Formats: sequence, C-alpha cells, structure tokens
Amino acid sequence: MSAAPLPTLAEAGRKIASGDLSPVALTEAALTRAATLQPKLDAFIEITADRARAAAQRAEREIAGGRRRGPLHGIPYGLKDIYDAAGLRTTAHSRLLLDNIATTDAETTARLEAAGMILIGKLATHEFATGGPAFDLPFPPARNPWNTAHFTGGSSSGSGAAVAAGIVSLAMGSDTGGSIRLPAAYCGTVGLKPTYGRVSRRGVAPLCYSLDTTGPLTWTVEDTALAMQVLAGHDPLDPGSADVPVPDYRATLRDGVKGLRIGYCSAFNRDGEIGSEQTAALDATAQTLAKLGAEIIEVALPPNAQFQACARAISHSESFAIHAKDLRTHPELYARVTRERLMLGGFLTATQYVQAQRLRRILTRKVDALFETVDVLLTAVIPGPAPVLEETDDGPWRRQQPLASVFNVTGHPAMAQPCGFATGLPLSAQFVGRAFDEATVLRVGHAYEQEAGWIAKRPALAAL
Amino acid sequence: MPDDPNSDFAAAVRRAGVAIPEDRWEVMRDAYESMQALLKILDDPLAYEDEPAALPRYDAGIKR
Repeated sequence: MSAAPLPTLAEAGRKIASGDLSPVALTEAALTRAATLQPKLDAFIEITADRARAAAQRAEREIAGGRRRGPLHGIPYGLKDIYDAAGLRTTAHSRLLLDNIATTDAETTARLEAAGMILIGKLATHEFATGGPAFDLPFPPARNPWNTAHFTGGSSSGSGAAVAAGIVSLAMGSDTGGSIRLPAAYCGTVGLKPTYGRVSRRGVAPLCYSLDTTGPLTWTVEDTALAMQVLAGHDPLDPGSADVPVPDYRATLRDGVKGLRIGYCSAFNRDGEIGSEQTAALDATAQTLAKLGAEIIEVALPPNAQFQACARAISHSESFAIHAKDLRTHPELYARVTRERLMLGGFLTATQYVQAQRLRRILTRKVDALFETVDVLLTAVIPGPAPVLEETDDGPWRRQQPLASVFNVTGHPAMAQPCGFATGLPLSAQFVGRAFDEATVLRVGHAYEQEAGWIAKRPALAAL
Repeated sequence: MPDDPNSDFAAAVRRAGVAIPEDRWEVMRDAYESMQALLKILDDPLAYEDEPAALPRYDAGIKR
C-alpha cells in the first residue's frame, strides 16, 4: 500500500469485507504514515507498533476464518492520551503521569477493541485536556497538517492532526468546553461531542465531571456514525451515563434534509465576534441546506456571556478540585499555562459554583425550547481559521469567549465539520441537536457534506 | 507578595492554598479580576425553585 491517507472507515470496512484489503497491510500503512509524519506533526505521544501488528494479524486470521466482528474490524484508530488502554501509559501529556500504566481499558477503548479495531498509538493532548499548547512539557504540542506553523486547536490536538493527516480515520477525543470540536474545526475534520451521558467516560482522565464528554473525530460524517454505533450506550459504572436506547445511526443518514427545520443562530455568531470569512461560510452553509430542501429559521440563543459564566465557573471549580493537591504540593510539574489556568478554580466560591449550576438548568431549558420549533441548530464553533501556534493565547484567562462550550453547558449533541477555507486553513460549522438525537445531527451533516464536497480536499502534507 | 495582603485576590490565593511566583502575580491578579467580572452574571437573583443542573440521580444504578 502507498503512503496515501488511510481510507475512510466505511471504505476500509467494505474493502476488508470483500477481501480487497488486508488489516495487516492497512495497519502497516498507518504505522508508516504515523512514523513518517511524526517529526512534522508531533501527533503521537507513543506509537504502539508491536501491539498494533499483533492485533492486525489476529484480525486478519479472524476475518479469514469467517469471524468478522463488524464494519470496523481490522481498522486502525488512535486514542487521545487521556484514555486508558490496558498495559499502556496514560500520561495526559503531563510530567505528573509519566509512569502511569493503565491496568484496564476505558469502556470506550474496550468497545473499540471488541469491535476489532487496532490501536496504533496514544495521541497528543493539551495537558490533562486543559491548558493550551505548551513547550515546557516532556512532549511537544501537535501541529496542524494544513500548515504546521498553525495551531491544531485543542485539547484533542493529536486526534485532530492524526485524522486530518490521514494517519487514522478515527481518533478519540474528549470535550469539556469544545475540545473535540475545536481541533476538528481547525484541522478540517468532523468532530462530534455526543449528548452528555451518551458515551461512557469511565477510564478517561477527568477534567470536569459534570461537563466532560467523550467522542470521535473522523474524516467523514458517515465514519462518525459508524464509530458512534460502537461507542454509544449505557455504562452502569459511569455515574454520568444515561440509559437511553441507541438507534441505528446509519438508518437515517441518507434521508436528506427536505422538510427539516434548521435554526440559524446568526445573532449568536455576531455576539461571538466571528470573522467575515467565517460569517460568509456559515451563510453559504445555510443556503446550501435551503437548496437541499431544509427550512432555515432565524433563532436567538441566550447571550453567550451567560453560557460562559456557567461554563467557566463549573469547569474551573471542578478541575481545581481534581488537581488541588498536586497544585499545592508540586506545581512545578505542570506546564505554566496548565498550572495557571487550573489555579483560577481555587479562587471561586461555593456560591458561584452552585449559582452556575442553577443558571445552567435555566439555559438548558431555553435551548430545549428552541427545539420545539427547529430540528437542528446551525452556529459557529470558532471565530475563524487556526492562529499561528506560537501566537496562541497562553495566558491564565482566555480572552476569546469560546462558542463551543455553550453545548457543554446544556449537554446537547454538537458536531463540527468543514464548511470552507480561508488562507488555506479550514473553516467549520456546528450542527446541534436535541438531547440524544445525534442521528438527526448526523443526517444534516451528511447531507451538507455530500453537497458541499469539502471532504475531497486534504492537506498537502497528507499527499506525502 | 507584591500586593496588599488584605486584597480580595491575596485572600483568594491564601484560601486556595497555592503559591504564585512574584513575576506572575500581576498576570494572575488580572486573570482573577477578568474572571470575577464575567461571573458577576451569577449574582443575578434566581427563583427559589431554580435548582442546580447537576443533582444526584439515585435511579442510575437500579437495574431495569
């Protein structure tokens, strides 16, 4: 196999099923591509080549013996290095966990392994899925495959880079305030933050218990549907997990958008101070959906400042509770940006935390009410294309008000996917659905993706 | 500590039990003030019945 980008999950699954593609050859291609691009992208903390080769041979034997487990059997994937995989380190990209060997799989890892997928490595993240890109850690920050001078977004930075560069077609991320959707947006991939409770968080290093979600980054919406079919489901050992039936995500994927009502949040986007190119790309996205038969309705979200107050009070408080002991006893082990951002949580009061949780319920009800008149919301996820890596805000207080964390506050499923380019870098749209209605989000995203055609464009780096 | 030891920020740092290097004190105080300015919204009065979002669900472990 050439060193071309790996095929999508759907394509690889079809070819493996027909015998036109071998899991061993596919895994070797992924490992070659990972090793070749690592000096440019720093996407991986660790490439697990021996383990991957053994798993690929096992998959090949099983499939040849008529024991194909499903559409993902024999296909490589990557894990953000906050997910446990038994026998491997989970470092969280931190000096504090350099010797932390996982003894069991995260529930999500176990599900992907049971589906027959092949782990090729642990991916870079922002330290403990927070902070920002840092140069004072044992591992460098990942770089954007579209332009390696630019930021990947985070915190699932290696996941975005690895999928965009075609090293893997599925990488797991986590999203507390946008950490799946931001790297998806900056790297031009699809990234789904499922509904809070839809996908297990057990065995994934926590940042903020009441906002953390886990989910996939992929190149196509169909691949996100395939991944969600394996990942979604109740985990009784995850206290935040919801016991809600999981639909067949591919059953409605190709149903189109005719008759669907799309709520366009243009005032909210302006409130988020998005750039003119991003605005134009979102307007064009709405027009494309209208052309496909959707009804576009202007809707108003509550002011972003209310969501930000909630998100920041809750995430800073909970993450400080998790890290307080280490911050007090050996703060020097954290990157400066992580340490300072985590410390802010220690300056909040219990009253502020409780008030934020009370306001959160009010805001969630208001967003739920919007879904009485629309089926999906369309918003910005970021103000514009990826900034230069070294110019990324690394202060303790993020100056830019993120747009993505709105739906961490409310828990609704939200998916980022490409909607254009500016200065050679991807722009992204965000589709948001009713709680536990990822299927309709995927349906809209797939219809748009097929019509817009952005998936045909890959980073020049990926042509290596 | 290059600050009035009775200031809100100095008190918050003491209560948090963390140490801030002298050369980062001003940056952290500025971050603290920016955070508190945003969180003023949380002082708006709420109704008694507006309960928090993150409440325990005791049915979560019940087998159905």
